[in-house]
Amino acid sequence: MDVLTLTGITKYYGKICALNNVSFSIPAGSVYGILGPNGSGKTTLLGIIMNILKQTSGSFELLGCAPDNHIRRKVGTLLETPNFYHYLSGEKNLQIAAAIKQKGADQIEEVLRKVNLYDRRQSKFSTYSLGMKQRLGIASCLLGSPEVLIFDEPTNGLDPVGISEIRELILQLSAEGKTIIMASHLLDEVEKVCSHVAILKYGNLLTAGKAGEVLVNEDIVELGATDLSQLASILQAFPGNTQQVKSGNFLQLHFPVGTANLEQINRFCQEHDIYLNHLILKKKSLETLFLEITHN
Amino acid sequence: MLQHLKIEWLKIKNYKTFWILSSLFLVSVFGINYIAFAIEQETMQKAPEAGMILGTSRFLFPDAWSTVAYLCSYLLFIPGLLMIISISNEFSFKTHRQNIIDGWSRTDFIYVKLMDVVILAICSTICMVIAAFIFGISTGGFSSIDFSGSIYILYFFIQALSYIAAALLAGVLFKRSGIAIGVFFLYAVVLENLLAGLLNRYVGGIGAYLPLESTDNLIPFPFLRNVVDHIVKRPNTIALLIAACCYLGLYFFLCKRKFETDEL
Repeated sequence: MDVLTLTGITKYYGKICALNNVSFSIPAGSVYGILGPNGSGKTTLLGIIMNILKQTSGSFELLGCAPDNHIRRKVGTLLETPNFYHYLSGEKNLQIAAAIKQKGADQIEEVLRKVNLYDRRQSKFSTYSLGMKQRLGIASCLLGSPEVLIFDEPTNGLDPVGISEIRELILQLSAEGKTIIMASHLLDEVEKVCSHVAILKYGNLLTAGKAGEVLVNEDIVELGATDLSQLASILQAFPGNTQQVKSGNFLQLHFPVGTANLEQINRFCQEHDIYLNHLILKKKSLETLFLEITHN
Repeated sequence: MLQHLKIEWLKIKNYKTFWILSSLFLVSVFGINYIAFAIEQETMQKAPEAGMILGTSRFLFPDAWSTVAYLCSYLLFIPGLLMIISISNEFSFKTHRQNIIDGWSRTDFIYVKLMDVVILAICSTICMVIAAFIFGISTGGFSSIDFSGSIYILYFFIQALSYIAAALLAGVLFKRSGIAIGVFFLYAVVLENLLAGLLNRYVGGIGAYLPLESTDNLIPFPFLRNVVDHIVKRPNTIALLIAACCYLGLYFFLCKRKFETDEL
């Protein structure tokens, strides 16, 4: 089942097209990363799903239904920045959120502990650091154990420890079977946690699908031997490779995703009396890929 | 709706600014009446002949109702201010977004704010009624209590509704507290009076039916009545009430419409 299905979502701010006919679906149980440079329309898209913004055209279904406020109660969302009453404590803010969601009032202590804010629960929101505000936002999403969580830049403002804690939390939530939709421009973050990705640029959907398929389009095997030219000529005959590139002191063989077999390559070279001093399977770095995808 | 109001209560329960301003309103309600009361008492004592023009004390029942309502109406900008703060806080903290993300509909959100208008108007009216009792009783004693002029309680309530709803509208339209408060005050205190004056002078009588004027005029100037009544022609009360209700409907409609269709 799909948790979210977008059909032709288009959004104009005056003459500026923020989203252009965006369609994709998010399967249940996935960790879905929505990637894109600043201003690519990520937050606009999530804002439309949350009824904060209104799309110019197109439609979407949330949990299989036309969206309304009852459906939104089943989704925990942190959009852009954590929005809380500055003059109230973290705990009181969560009481308000739980009351609106109509569930989770009994989980306030639990979620505060989960994001390490329990000790500061009585402090006013205005006294929190950026990272603490962000963690309170995440705690609020967890109230009522929603099946779907939407995080917009969840690690914004967090220190390295906080970032890794949130990453752990996302993986843990995903292991519990929850669907997580995450907008981010931090590739590293997406690579480490997402099972699926969609890439947006200037409001256009460039690609969407399983992370393994979208982000790693080739296996690259890097080899080295004393006589590099001999190695190159022998490997011409190795089946399955699509491209051979000389890179510094090494040779790179490109294979379609998942077809590179290091053992076979090693045996093949040995059979041709070449002994390798370097053999490694590389995946194209996400950054390179991202730049390739968004620049074309 | 009760559940929604409970949430609204959670928002203001620990909000100091709200309680400080509310206390100041309460103090001012008694203060402004006490000043008028003291001046009247002193005039009567020092110059008993002034009683010829002043008539009996305006703080005697049943006149106490209209007198206290009139005096309190000068303070209605304070509940208006509270309303603007309440809505513009939501905008500046972006909690209006969060409330909707968390599961209110846009209609839920604006209905609760409209309910706040009604509740604030009821509270203001209660303050006015208590003040009327205190000053009425201290002038004429318990036995003098008379409800024949108590229609002014209703008029005051309508006036309070009108001021607070106009304040909410200013808040919804301008979003930022500074500009909303500025526009609301300038309009309520200066611009409308100026406009009313001009209209009354050049177009004839219709100035009294401007949004806030229509409710201001429900409660006439209480002092020197036997003089004023001969000079000033009072606008038709029924027409004023109809105008006031139309404006109220308009404020409610515009607030709802604006919030339901806007980008938040």
